[in-house]
Amino acid sequence: MIYMPYGDSAMLINFEQKIDPSINQKVMALHRALEVSGIAGITFLIPAYCSLTIGFDKNVISFSKLKSTIDSFAKEEMNQLSNNASRLVHIPVCYESPFKLDMLDVMEHTQLSRKNIISLHTSIKFRVYMLGFVAGFAYMGKLPQSLNCPRKSVPRIIVPEGSVGLAGLQTGIYPTEAPGGWQIIGRTPLKMFDHDNASPSLLQPGDEVQFKAIDKIEFDAIEKLQSVGEYELEVCNG
Amino acid sequence: MDDFKMTFLKPGLHTTVQDQGRLGFQHLGVPINGVMDKRAAKLANELVSNEINAPLFEITLIGPKVEFSGKGQIAITGADLSPTLNGKVIDMYSTISISDGDLLEFGHPIHGCRSYLAVGGTLKIQRWLNSASASATDPKTFTPQSLIEKSAGFHVAIKEKAEIKSIPSSTRPKLPSQLKVRVFRGPEFNSFTKESIDFFFKYWFPISKDANRMGYRLDKILPHFNPDVEVISSGIVPGTIQITNSGQPIVLMADAQTSGGYMRIANILTDDLNKVAQLKPGDLLGFEIAD
Repeated sequence: MIYMPYGDSAMLINFEQKIDPSINQKVMALHRALEVSGIAGITFLIPAYCSLTIGFDKNVISFSKLKSTIDSFAKEEMNQLSNNASRLVHIPVCYESPFKLDMLDVMEHTQLSRKNIISLHTSIKFRVYMLGFVAGFAYMGKLPQSLNCPRKSVPRIIVPEGSVGLAGLQTGIYPTEAPGGWQIIGRTPLKMFDHDNASPSLLQPGDEVQFKAIDKIEFDAIEKLQSVGEYELEVCNG
Repeated sequence: MDDFKMTFLKPGLHTTVQDQGRLGFQHLGVPINGVMDKRAAKLANELVSNEINAPLFEITLIGPKVEFSGKGQIAITGADLSPTLNGKVIDMYSTISISDGDLLEFGHPIHGCRSYLAVGGTLKIQRWLNSASASATDPKTFTPQSLIEKSAGFHVAIKEKAEIKSIPSSTRPKLPSQLKVRVFRGPEFNSFTKESIDFFFKYWFPISKDANRMGYRLDKILPHFNPDVEVISSGIVPGTIQITNSGQPIVLMADAQTSGGYMRIANILTDDLNKVAQLKPGDLLGFEIAD
């Protein structure tokens, strides 16, 4: 862990700079430990692939005091917390028209059939490495090499809410309508970011996600259930 | 006491409600938001005897037209956008008493970019995630009252009569159009070439037209910049200066995304970032290391 000043009101802790589940697990363990630590002066936390950004109020705590406080409990807490398995969230996705906007391009890039693409995308448990870009956007990985395809050369001005996309070895869901260059292969009926909810993001950093293929009829049914608050999210606590 | 009401007859170029921001939700990708010039906003709130972090109006270059009903107090700080009350020039950095039917208007921008209008009392407004600040993501859905549109109206619960205050002109912040700010070295500082770094600290960078609450793109390209270091997406804080792959610096501001993957050369100190918030396209920005 390398502690760096990040301006005068934040600290950046860099872990080994690599996209790797075991490194991200350490980031999430420290993130969770700090969330419950009650250290006065911490204003926000941004866990990422292999770094943790910590905002602080410099009138309450100094960089060096924060560093020594984290150092003193980090190792112990992290070892304990790393062993806690995260939740597994099942997310239904319809890989059919009119949602699979870039499926043909992805088939061409990967030389895989639509059926193979769906079965690969639904067979793997992905890790939520971080949230960013827009509120509630979860960066998930890692895709198998066979699904690796570049971003679109011309990004879309509007990607519809709920769109599920691929970019390099990552997969993600657009929680709100946004511009973007990810290759869209389907859509989830779930509301990934509900601003009316006190805990607005369906996914949390460190979650595991498994996609489940549904058809258009199920898509409409789930959407309807969810709109009246009767859809029960499938979550397993590991 | 009766309700004090205000109605925006014209919204201005970009008028929003802001407070100290939406801290504590950044792990979900929610931008911090909040006032761009924190110092000016605090002064405005102090002048009307509000909590220093109370929500107030941030006004950008072209001000709104506001009609009041009832009696109350306001104060205006930050950029001088030629405010008038019923057609008469009003003093900034002072408590101003408002009578029923008063009309607040703004004229030409004299200096600075963002003006703050505080109203004495409690602004009745819906909060989202503990903050009244306009959301950068989908503000019309998430914080519909905080993005000011034509005919927007607000009720203000006013307290007992508060004292009239004024900040002496000698201590009012100056808002220069050319500004050197203090920075700390950024996370990837050591990955930049010596030529790029020397250039960064030697020259003035004009603020481009692409400058808003998310970030300011600067109109000068760093030479000898080889973005061969792969930066794995990592957290972003306001004041971060990132360099795009073409060598263009971007200063990230209050509405910035919470993560990014460009090399970060430096971070502007918090106090100086308040001054950057008052720069507008065409103004000049320079950098020096803070020790």
